[in-house]
Amino acid sequence: MKEISFRTDVLPLKNELFRLALRITLNRADAEDVVQETLIKVWNRREQWEQIDSMEAFCMTICRNMALDRQKRMDYQNASLDDVGHEAPDRSYSANPEEQAVQRDKVERVRRLMDQLPEKQRTCMQLRDVEGKSYKEIADVMNITEQQVKVNIFRARQTIKQKYIEQEQYGL
Amino acid sequence: MDYKYIEQLLERYFEAETTLKEEQILKAFFEQNEEELPENLRRYHSLFAALGQEETLGDDFDERLLQMTEEAPRVKARTISMAERLKPLFRAAAVVAILLTLSNALNQSFNDNDTWVDQSDYALEQIEPAAGEPAMAYDQPTDSLVSDTLFKPTGYLE
Repeated sequence: MKEISFRTDVLPLKNELFRLALRITLNRADAEDVVQETLIKVWNRREQWEQIDSMEAFCMTICRNMALDRQKRMDYQNASLDDVGHEAPDRSYSANPEEQAVQRDKVERVRRLMDQLPEKQRTCMQLRDVEGKSYKEIADVMNITEQQVKVNIFRARQTIKQKYIEQEQYGL
Repeated sequence: MDYKYIEQLLERYFEAETTLKEEQILKAFFEQNEEELPENLRRYHSLFAALGQEETLGDDFDERLLQMTEEAPRVKARTISMAERLKPLFRAAAVVAILLTLSNALNQSFNDNDTWVDQSDYALEQIEPAAGEPAMAYDQPTDSLVSDTLFKPTGYLE
């Protein structure tokens, strides 16, 4: 039987969880809070760890649900739209050197396109294209069928491609 | 250079028909410099660059969380092996085993001492017929007296 340790098995998942939460909340501070709450919740359930097949999927499921909860609460407060606009450019300029600004800008534009997708498509695309998860793993985390995962990814990629090409043509 | 394979992969990527491995190939391909890519593929460079962007949390997050999960050492304590966990039990078992051996040995020596008691029992049996049956005692008064007096000094009957 494999012993699960918080420090070596759970904590290293933090960046993956953070990116997942960030795709849903679209706000770094919120995403960080979500990851923290997720890991504390996982810690508090440590008696059940031995019955868990995949710690990663377990953490991701909790993380996604918490991020969705928080997002719902935020929506009630009617603050989200403005936040998205401000958050995105901030991230690119503060985190990267100036010389690659043009390239960064393009990347940032793709990111924003992704952020505009419906949550399910966004999460599916994040888990598949960024984290490299199989359809089955994504289906487990999101509690939907593999077929639905595939459909969501298909729609997400199609939308991104379409909007991206549109932007290029109009030079936005 | 022929980019047909990449173009095919791209097409299948947007149809969500690619495997994880093929998607890795695409990502790796678009990691190269944008200027080196052919015109028709260049536009997808930033798309895949966006997918490769990985936001991370700082180390201070780790520290804060480890502090919040204060009981972390208790998880360590759980890693004690079965043999270690049973150590006190083994010790107790060893003590019991020693005690048993000792008491056995003592019993053995007591039993050795008991041999003379067996002999006295035998002497008692010799007397009893005389004492138990008065008629016989009358017939052999001296014998019973003799054995009685002979026996008495040991003090065992009293």
